[in-house]
Amino acid sequence: MKILVADDSRVMRQIVVRTLRQAGFEDHEIVEAPDGAEAKSKVESENPDLVLSDWNMPNMSGIELLHALRAGGNTVPFAFVTSECSDEMIAKAEAGGALFLISKPFTADTFRDKLSDILG
Amino acid sequence: MTNDVSTAVEVDLDMIAEQVWSAFLNGDNEEETIFAAPDTGAHTDLAASVAMVGAYEGHLVVSCSHKASRDVASVLFAMEPDEVTADDVGDALGELANVLGGNVKSVLPSPSQLSLPRVSATAHERWPGTVEVCRTVVRWRDEAYVVSLLSGGQSGSNNAQEA
Repeated sequence: MKILVADDSRVMRQIVVRTLRQAGFEDHEIVEAPDGAEAKSKVESENPDLVLSDWNMPNMSGIELLHALRAGGNTVPFAFVTSECSDEMIAKAEAGGALFLISKPFTADTFRDKLSDILG
Repeated sequence: MTNDVSTAVEVDLDMIAEQVWSAFLNGDNEEETIFAAPDTGAHTDLAASVAMVGAYEGHLVVSCSHKASRDVASVLFAMEPDEVTADDVGDALGELANVLGGNVKSVLPSPSQLSLPRVSATAHERWPGTVEVCRTVVRWRDEAYVVSLLSGGQSGSNNAQEA
């Protein structure tokens, strides 16, 4: 499977990729994007099987990315990896069509719990 | 913008810092990390901050020495400290502030928005009109990391977005 990791922080993209590997998902192809706008382009060009997106990014935020994808008819499985998981944000994410939020800081166990059903 | 400086918030900075360090920075043999360490007024060179705007207005700031910032970047990027560039330090320290700030914001009055992180020399950073609500010191690898929550001030200048 192909996973798109969108985060404006290089180090956080690297941590997400490393944690995917530690969680046992090392065989999946990873594509990265540094903001929501580039993530949108890469969803269209790379056709990933899962998007793991930060919320707070320049150019296009994570929730704007999700809304843009769904408005364009794209139904790629989408989850947020964000430093804040308030009830308000969870409600917004679910209303927008996201699967769930993973809060930073996370561990490999968190990734296994949340992603095993999707990534196998 | 407000001058109404609120300090009546309940934030367990000690616990939030411990969660962040434990998940992202501590290795298997990191027993020397001290949370809620004594505040000895250690000299700091760099400050990474995120601003909160909305129902709560303020800043979350993490300050440390140049060496400490390189240590954080080297662990987060999984590279040797002498390979770390200034860009790496800025990205790593900024993301540390972002994660700490996001977790702090979750227990503050809502709705509010979190800015993108900013990293600069401590000597050049000022947060006028703010008061410190609380702070904690993490002592990791013999370096002090001061985590402060500031309340008040003109926090809208940091390109705030919903985080």
